[in-house]
Amino acid sequence: MSSETGETGKAGIIVASDDASPIEKLSHAVLDDLLYNTIHDLLLKVHRDEKIARANTAAIKVEKLAMSTIEGATVDPKPEVEIETEAAIYKEGKVTLKGNPLKSTKEILCPRCHLPRLLHPTDGKGARKPDPGVIYCKRHPYIEKPGYDIYGQTWVAPGPGRGKKKKDQKLDPNDPSSPLPGTEGSAKDRPPNVLSFPSATCSKCKRCILVTRLNNHMGSCIGNSGRNASRAAAQKISNGSQAGSQNNDNTPPGSQKGTPLPGSRAASPRKRDGDEFDEDAEESDPTNPKKKKLKLNSLPKKVILKSKSQSPAAQANSKKEKAKSSSNLYLEQKADDDAKDSTVQVAPKKQTPVPKGVSPAKKIKLGPPKLPLPSVVGKKAKRDRDMESESSGTVSSPPH
Amino acid sequence: MAARPATPASPKTNYKVKAPQPGQPMYGCEHLQRLFNQDQATTNTSIQHYKAILRSIYDTTPLLSQTAKGIDGQIVTSLTPTYLCLQCPSTLTEDDRTKHGSKKSHRFYVDSRSGALYCQMCDDIVWDPTFEELRLKKIGTARKRKHEELFEASDPVRDNPTYISSNTTAASCKANGLRGIYNAGATCYQNVVLQSFLHNPILRNFYLSDGHSSSNCDTPHCLSCAMDDMFQDFYALENTNGYTAANILSGFWISEKKAFENLVTTKEQDAHEFFQFLAEELHERNGDGKKPETGSEHSCNCIIHQTFYGKLQSNTTCQNCGGVTNQVQSFLDLSLPLENLSQRKSKKGTARPGGMLTLQECLDEEYVKSDKCEYRCHNCGSMQQARRQTSIKRLPNVLSIQLKRFEYKQGRNERAAKIDTPVQFPLQLNMLPYTNRARGQDVRENYELARSCTYDLLSVVVHVGEIDTGHYVSYCRVGDQWFAFNDHKVELAQKSDVLNSRAYLLFYVVRSLS
Repeated sequence: MSSETGETGKAGIIVASDDASPIEKLSHAVLDDLLYNTIHDLLLKVHRDEKIARANTAAIKVEKLAMSTIEGATVDPKPEVEIETEAAIYKEGKVTLKGNPLKSTKEILCPRCHLPRLLHPTDGKGARKPDPGVIYCKRHPYIEKPGYDIYGQTWVAPGPGRGKKKKDQKLDPNDPSSPLPGTEGSAKDRPPNVLSFPSATCSKCKRCILVTRLNNHMGSCIGNSGRNASRAAAQKISNGSQAGSQNNDNTPPGSQKGTPLPGSRAASPRKRDGDEFDEDAEESDPTNPKKKKLKLNSLPKKVILKSKSQSPAAQANSKKEKAKSSSNLYLEQKADDDAKDSTVQVAPKKQTPVPKGVSPAKKIKLGPPKLPLPSVVGKKAKRDRDMESESSGTVSSPPH
Repeated sequence: MAARPATPASPKTNYKVKAPQPGQPMYGCEHLQRLFNQDQATTNTSIQHYKAILRSIYDTTPLLSQTAKGIDGQIVTSLTPTYLCLQCPSTLTEDDRTKHGSKKSHRFYVDSRSGALYCQMCDDIVWDPTFEELRLKKIGTARKRKHEELFEASDPVRDNPTYISSNTTAASCKANGLRGIYNAGATCYQNVVLQSFLHNPILRNFYLSDGHSSSNCDTPHCLSCAMDDMFQDFYALENTNGYTAANILSGFWISEKKAFENLVTTKEQDAHEFFQFLAEELHERNGDGKKPETGSEHSCNCIIHQTFYGKLQSNTTCQNCGGVTNQVQSFLDLSLPLENLSQRKSKKGTARPGGMLTLQECLDEEYVKSDKCEYRCHNCGSMQQARRQTSIKRLPNVLSIQLKRFEYKQGRNERAAKIDTPVQFPLQLNMLPYTNRARGQDVRENYELARSCTYDLLSVVVHVGEIDTGHYVSYCRVGDQWFAFNDHKVELAQKSDVLNSRAYLLFYVVRSLS
């Protein structure tokens, strides 16, 4: 083995006692050599990364300097210019090193954006304060801090959701991650690294659904699972064949909302076709305005329906609603109560990228199906109104 | 030492130093610069010698490169690195290196364990672009060349750097593919598989090089388009917030695949089943459109086949007439049963404490050992006892392994139960013993073959909890750093966290690609 002395290996860490047998000494020496190799390999890897990064930094710096001296003459790939820094030489378009870059170069420039790399995390383990006067490359060292992710982000606890009553939700003002009782302001009051769960648009019904409920929603909206399957089946039997649902699923878009108006059902697949087309081409910008237009066009139609079908009181309510729609709490509560009656979900988060004007229209969508069943509507509408007045109470009395 | 030819035959080709790259010095150090600028003959011999040294390090027994002859004539074989002189055929120990240098004015040495170049005048390892390219090529193998042919067919227009810079947009330095995926309600089984796809270098390169462009695809709710969008979002946007895989989810709900009907529910599901579903779906969107039949040989040039599919060969030998039947079938993944093996080991008394198994033991059981079976022999024309032996005929680029962590208890109430047996798995896996090339011939001396069968662990999917309810988390490697993915949360992970996890799915990528 490597140790001619026979006492131990190259690392010199694992040493057998003097009176050990030869085989014992040998095995100690072997283990010691292996330890040396492990450290050697690790060191070599770090050395390679660091030295190449610093050598490239030296090259980037001298190239930048050379380019700044030859303004305008960038057509020539090998400009006749010779620049020398303390770490490298630029000559005839070639960069050569001067000395060891590990000694001559202290910082590391990103090879892509040429900005200095931040070398220590800004938070958590091993954190250091970055120099505020320096613009760093956007690639930062990853943060290691319990409760936070590699970018130093954390998430607000999920708000009151399905099956969770609002009163179950303990609001701890000292805990930054608990949902604040404030409404619109909470998103701004929150530190920027505290994120909340986003909402996503269902590709079929185009409604905005909180991400944690997306799968369940799609199950009832697209798939034929759960109680909607039986509903759809029952409807299929009573209605015969369904008006064109192109995905061959048996749940018409309106089925979750009770019995839809004939008009509304006929309209919905057409609207969907348009939207689906748009979604496929979502990446290309020119179609996006069209998508918005389509949605906006569909709105007035429904508003008319609503104003015909509902009492002035209800309209007044909806106006109130519009004024209140900024209230996060209200929307969330509303979503809960709706969920008990049907599977309709109203986007419960204020981050919902829907223009404010849409929110009453969403309500209106729920309206029309109630029409043909007056007995149920009466009850339901009453409950709705009750609930609304209830919630208007909670909102009109300031929480502070 | 003798294995290294001092003067290689007829140097017809003139070796060139790697052309200067912007943002990179041309040479590793000033001294190498002087060496390369002497004359063409010196450059030729230096590069030839370096290549010969790399061959002796990587393609022959380490005994040769680890054996040094001291100045005093004493021969020493060492476990720790020795140094191979670039300018003459000597191999030296670290202590003799200085003496050799001052005596012969030879200044460059190659580390016998890594092939890295040491410059005596810098007294440091130098990473020269020319030599480093040769070294990295050596670590990769013939398979790499094949891969380059497949994916990087030379195109004079496309290879022009100005064409590339004018037609592409550089992603922000912040966009690195490390984002969580929100749980949309019991969808963690999807998230872990999606994360392992996102950090799979072959799939990443395929999607980021417009392998399936979602703007040119007409299929409604195409899952491959959804994957394309997801790769774009992960590797081109600065966003560090979690990703909402809404398109994948809806594509999944809309998919009409009957075979996976049981998957399409709002309940918790099996990640392995989702992996198979996603692989087949992406194969159909990108491949020849044929449904991959299980149990047969299916070749396709689609990205999924090039990434995951390998071939198994089973030889059935009739115990009566000695006739052999061969059967070849494609596989997407290797499923390894744990139950029998752990029971057998505990009976034999060879079990380790805690019933620990190793991945290699499980592979041995399936792809080295043979088992008895009954089959209908064509020669004998009757049912005969036979010995069946399965081995891997072709290894995939990404090897996916499922550890069957469930068993069906025999009895009145047949219920599946989870097997929590810990299975040790390595960061580096040598698959050569399980291939049919390992049969019959002595492959121990074929280092190049062994290197082409070396795999590195890429990602691990872990299930925590009971058989019917629980949670999936995963670990993925990016470069040398491991990350733990728990739905929308991404955290740094230690190698020990990864290796101590109770893996359910393992993804290994072949060394020559990474």
